[in-house]
Amino acid sequence: MPAATFSRCFSGRYITAGIFTLLLLASCSKAPATNAVNFDSPYPPESGGTLIDAMTGEPSGLIAMLAGESAASAIAANIFNSLLKYDKNLELQGELAQSWDVSADQQTITFHLKPGMKWADDTPLTSADVLFTWRLVTDDKTRTPYSADYKLVVRAETPDALTFRVSYRQPYAPALDTWASLHILPQHLLQGQDINTTAFARRPVGSHYYKLQDWRNGERISLVRNPYATQGPARINRLVSRFIPDNAAQFLELLADNIDVMNLDPIKYARIFPARPDLNKKIALYKELGNNYTYLGFNLKHKPFDDIRVRQAINYAIDKQELIDGVLLGLGVPVASPYKPGTRWSNPNLHPYPYDPQKALALLKQAGFEDHDGDGILDRDGKPLAFEMVTNQNKQREMSAVLIQRRLKEIGIDSKIRILEWASFVGRYIKTGDFDVVVLGWSLSLDPDQYGIWHSSQQAPGQFNFIGYSNPHVDKLLEQGRLELNPEKRMKIYHEFAQILLKDSPVVYLYAGYGLPAIHKRVKGIDNPAPPAGIGHNSYEWYIPQPLRRNEISVQ
Amino acid sequence: MIKYLLKRIFWMVPLLVGISLVSFLIMHLAPGDITTTEASFNPKASEESRQKLREIYNLDKPVIVQYGLWLKRMATLDFGTSFATHQRPVFWQTIDAQGNVSKGMIQDALPITLLINVVSLALIIATALPLGIVSALTQNRVPDRAITMFVFIGFAIPGFWLALMLMYWTGVVHDWLPISGLHSLGYENMSWFAKISDTLRHIFLPVFISSLGGLAGISLFVRNGMLDVLHQDYITTARAKGLPENTVIYGHALRNALLPLITILGLSIPGLIGGSVIAESIFAIPGMGKLFYDAVLMRDFPVIMGILTIGSALTLIGNLLADVAYAWADPRVRRGIAQ
Repeated sequence: MPAATFSRCFSGRYITAGIFTLLLLASCSKAPATNAVNFDSPYPPESGGTLIDAMTGEPSGLIAMLAGESAASAIAANIFNSLLKYDKNLELQGELAQSWDVSADQQTITFHLKPGMKWADDTPLTSADVLFTWRLVTDDKTRTPYSADYKLVVRAETPDALTFRVSYRQPYAPALDTWASLHILPQHLLQGQDINTTAFARRPVGSHYYKLQDWRNGERISLVRNPYATQGPARINRLVSRFIPDNAAQFLELLADNIDVMNLDPIKYARIFPARPDLNKKIALYKELGNNYTYLGFNLKHKPFDDIRVRQAINYAIDKQELIDGVLLGLGVPVASPYKPGTRWSNPNLHPYPYDPQKALALLKQAGFEDHDGDGILDRDGKPLAFEMVTNQNKQREMSAVLIQRRLKEIGIDSKIRILEWASFVGRYIKTGDFDVVVLGWSLSLDPDQYGIWHSSQQAPGQFNFIGYSNPHVDKLLEQGRLELNPEKRMKIYHEFAQILLKDSPVVYLYAGYGLPAIHKRVKGIDNPAPPAGIGHNSYEWYIPQPLRRNEISVQ
Repeated sequence: MIKYLLKRIFWMVPLLVGISLVSFLIMHLAPGDITTTEASFNPKASEESRQKLREIYNLDKPVIVQYGLWLKRMATLDFGTSFATHQRPVFWQTIDAQGNVSKGMIQDALPITLLINVVSLALIIATALPLGIVSALTQNRVPDRAITMFVFIGFAIPGFWLALMLMYWTGVVHDWLPISGLHSLGYENMSWFAKISDTLRHIFLPVFISSLGGLAGISLFVRNGMLDVLHQDYITTARAKGLPENTVIYGHALRNALLPLITILGLSIPGLIGGSVIAESIFAIPGMGKLFYDAVLMRDFPVIMGILTIGSALTLIGNLLADVAYAWADPRVRRGIAQ
């Protein structure tokens, strides 16, 4: 009985989310005691302290190759190392490896590990652990979806304790990226265990800055500094991640000084904070370009989207800046390639299609679409230009679809919007290929290889070229890009690829949004503005000066 | 009576199997499985490896075969392990060869939800009874009107909104109550007394919100039950023979008016283990509602089926208990069963 009424009362929460926002804007809260401290004064770096952040979901486990969700990777990234890592400009750098050589035929990569590394339990970390991890990820019994890249290795060997060598049948350029994302696991703790069920996933031992201190199911995970960290000591002593699914509750916790870090949405960033000077005294806002972009994708196997003029016309008919202003409140950038602006792979000479409805109409006319019957909708051979846009339950995608619908209507294209829950969306539309247009997102991948998304061979059900893009020239470039390990030569290949992709317009790039972390001003040492790798790239250098720490304040 | 009970219990088994079969089929009607979650929509995750996962979890077999496998496990009360959360046991903890305890998911979530719901239910009854009686005794006069208005406001006010307002008021503007979560950061090092008070402070708002919404139903139920009874002839008789008003009301009227409440309480037993997704999300409480909701989104079939099975078993038991209690409380019902 209580449960039934409880849930009934809670339905329709979004309606009042607006009212809640209004109240926050209007209210003038009692100045908390902490306002007496000036958080802006400079302090020298020192170690110690606790940083509390909030995440919406709980990790399923901390072995990243088994757990795909972002919560797991976020926490596991503080516990485990990979052979390589991306630096602040998203260039590859050694992590466990101090260097790596690529053989002349580009088929063999030799990693030289840093000497004297240890696991958090004070046992040596050697190339045997790396080999063990490779065997695990390629083992058919391991329940990982990420094995494909590692199965391309035909031979893996450890000539000595500090050398790890892998050979591929043919050069495989994304290989280096794959060694930057594989967390190396300790052989001495996992040998002989079933990786799929091992308790290690919930009490891991790694080699990075932090080690697990405590995991309270459904409540929080606490990490504490690892004295044997292979990359040197971090400054902050303890990291606590609280699981708070609701964004509004997270925000209240931030206001009440109970958490130090959360990711804001554009409303909070651009509307609430500017109106609340008291908040700006203690909380600093940051902006970092996110790792994904939103696009509108055509089903190229359906008419009329097989016609490049129709695709380009729709591209011209969509006002990207309007989407950025309306959906993201200006907190995003347009993109013209599937690579993060400001990195090597993003072609600086490409520009998004400008908003030009006249050009769109002209292109459609060329393609045979005109309003012959005078009903306000363009038609060809008696068939109106009408289609359905499908997307999943994602506020930003929904709002984008609505804005796009209006712009298309203006030039005489009739579109309907359909919104589904994720698994239904994938099962009903993506897998079957039974859609006209989707609004979705892809990640702006760090490695430029996007064979899986754009190569014409990747169109089977369950594969990721579900829009059916097929261009022999692009296929060839994608194949070449995989064979070329030299970054300069590789860059040229992908710049050309992005250029053709933009012209072909199989998708309309809509925008890439900013991540909007809000961090309490007690946390110092943050790089602002954020480099391409984001605000967290030097989190091990962040520090919380003694006088600003939570307990010290409450004592005063 | 005993025969009646045995019959009822016997028929619960096929009923449960039937419910589980229907649940299983409906669950599989929704497209997608654990390998089509948003996190797996990643070009680095190849279709072959996803197919491999499907085979490992038997998701490639016909639904009815999957159901058979599930039923076979259930026959030994094995709820299985979760697909999504690193093979955590669905129901109760398991201990591996190294002595590591892996706690069950329902085992973790159930006590939390039970605590909040039992306290709420107790609070609702403790408040709704007097409110309902006063309402009935002052029918259509000011106290009755005021009480009815109050409980309806409580019923109509959106719980999530009130929750956020109260969180803001008691947690941000004033430092009276914690905002969300179940335990404070230093909980592990607290004395047992501090632990209890910490937990009570954390569940105060969730319980308050949940009780406020449930007040209207029960108080109006009591009110109407009382009014019905008060118009019966035997009440007139009791008054006519000169019994004091208190005896008439509490000795004669109330006892009869409370009979239907037994049914409601019986029916609320399954509700005790069901949490509200939104309330639990707002207050960051890892209870049953959130567990079930996440399992549905992740298509974590063993968890979904585990919760549904326990829920339907409790519903059947609750119905039975309500009937038995009814028979115990009301001789008329007893006679009906005997015939």
